[in-house]
Amino acid sequence: MILVLNLFFILLALFMSAYLARHYIFTLTALYHQKGQPNHTPQDTAYQPTVSVLIPARNEEKVIGRILQRMTELTYPEEKLDVIVIDDASTDRTGKIVEEFAKKHEYIKVVHRNLEDGGKGKPATLNHGLKYIKGEIVYCFDADYYPQRDILEKLTVCFKDPKVGAVQGRVTVLNEPDTLVTRLVALERTGGYRVDQFARDDLGLIPQFGGTAGGFRRSLIEALGGWGTDMLAEDTDLTFKVYLAGYKVQYVNEVECYEEAVENWRFYWHQRTRWAKGHMQCAFRYLWPLLKSKNLRLKEKVDGFLLLNVYFVPILVGLAWILGATLFLIHSPPWIEIFWMVIPISVYSSVGNFAPFFEVGIGAYLDGRKRIYWLIPLLLLTFMFNMLICTKALIDLCVSKITGKRQHAWAKTLHNGRGNSYLNDAEEKSSYSLIGINTYLHPEDSSTNHKT
Amino acid sequence: MVPLLARNRQSFRHPRMRPNYLHMSFGVGAAAITLLIFFPLCRIFNEFTLISIAVFNFLFIFLLFPLEGSLFRKICLLVAGNIVGLAWHFLKLSFEAASVFYLQASAFKIITVVVGPIIDLIWIVSFWSLGLSVLASSQRRNEGDGGDDN
Repeated sequence: MILVLNLFFILLALFMSAYLARHYIFTLTALYHQKGQPNHTPQDTAYQPTVSVLIPARNEEKVIGRILQRMTELTYPEEKLDVIVIDDASTDRTGKIVEEFAKKHEYIKVVHRNLEDGGKGKPATLNHGLKYIKGEIVYCFDADYYPQRDILEKLTVCFKDPKVGAVQGRVTVLNEPDTLVTRLVALERTGGYRVDQFARDDLGLIPQFGGTAGGFRRSLIEALGGWGTDMLAEDTDLTFKVYLAGYKVQYVNEVECYEEAVENWRFYWHQRTRWAKGHMQCAFRYLWPLLKSKNLRLKEKVDGFLLLNVYFVPILVGLAWILGATLFLIHSPPWIEIFWMVIPISVYSSVGNFAPFFEVGIGAYLDGRKRIYWLIPLLLLTFMFNMLICTKALIDLCVSKITGKRQHAWAKTLHNGRGNSYLNDAEEKSSYSLIGINTYLHPEDSSTNHKT
Repeated sequence: MVPLLARNRQSFRHPRMRPNYLHMSFGVGAAAITLLIFFPLCRIFNEFTLISIAVFNFLFIFLLFPLEGSLFRKICLLVAGNIVGLAWHFLKLSFEAASVFYLQASAFKIITVVVGPIIDLIWIVSFWSLGLSVLASSQRRNEGDGGDDN
């Protein structure tokens, strides 16, 4: 029995060491990458296919105006653009706000879902919107996002490569200074995008489509059957579908899109529980197809394997911790102590939500940050929190498997629109205006606030 | 008025940095000397002390020493980090030794093993972050860049 426990512990230690090595390689790649990303700044305007933007919105009255205003300020040619807002049975003013924009701008359209059809989650809403699009490329933005004006050019140019099936831009937190949680989420995002996604793209591994601030070839998304309505992490699901279909996802770091992060631990818990469950669903579904796929190279398979299992890591760290301590205390063979030593190292490296502290720190350094490093030790909180979240998600999935109850209830993240205050000046804080966001953010562009 | 968004600005440049191998080798040397000085103290400390100090030195030398910045500053930070680590373990051991009088020694073995990784993490992550913060601040100053307020 002790021997079995020892062997199991060694396996856990080796598994975590693989993650440690992976993150260390990613960090060094982000710092000293040899290949680097090409400059995607749009200069080649010859390649400008028609594009469609899908914006699913359910009770987003506080933020929908912000992104729609931004849609009117995009620099992509108007005649090649259509924006479809899918009002998913909203009970607030979301539909009315969108209609006001649709009246003024021909390329903005609104699709209303009634109470019977709506409320079935983001994937179902996006699939509904897919019926109305006209573009060759389809982008998806969440209602609380705020993209760069030239985001579509920067992302679309990637599709010149026929192997690229999907693109992903960088997500950064808009309301970072609001609370401790938003600051910690911002740190996670920095590590996750500036280092992790960047390195995976640079090394030719599997950059992940994040579900928003990115897009697909329309032909591909239609061939793949749209967004998976039975999955809670439809973005991870699509990422692996894309790779298994023989295409790749390209990450473009210089494309920025701001999001409104969750502000308290309760919302953090709900959001991350959904992510964890969805990611675990994908792990169960794609692990075997990934390993036997002929469309993927060995390094992509290894990275895909580690990516799929990433939400199991906090659980395994906890398990290894308990097991290692037990073995240590019951006088196991001396050699087990070597593996016990791996545990602290793994714990150090795992601090943070799947991006270890040194990855987050280097990401912040590359971003030119000065003071945010002081918060890095507090990532311990999110790490401990994620141990609980992932454990609960796994238990829920196991229970649902046993009881036959499906796990795709969509817990919507509420957005209170406080991020608007970072886009408007103090005067506008009290009465949020849809005019002037761009002028405020880009005063140098205020005289040319238009489309090309 | 300065946009509030500037407070959390990001940089999307792709600087092609070159690791400073010279600084890194000096770092290895400095860490080796520090550890040699610490070596006689090994009998006092347990293996967790050595692991923690080794982890700290590894992360500091291979991630911070290759970055831009003055070598002197990096070595000072490394040595200071090691001293803090040592002091941390002295404190921990002193606490344990003093408490053995009130509780059984085995109880403290359990505590040391179970909470050791997390307790040690506090000084490693904090000092590593402090080192990065110092290097980043001096670099932004040299570049004449105000940087962010965060």
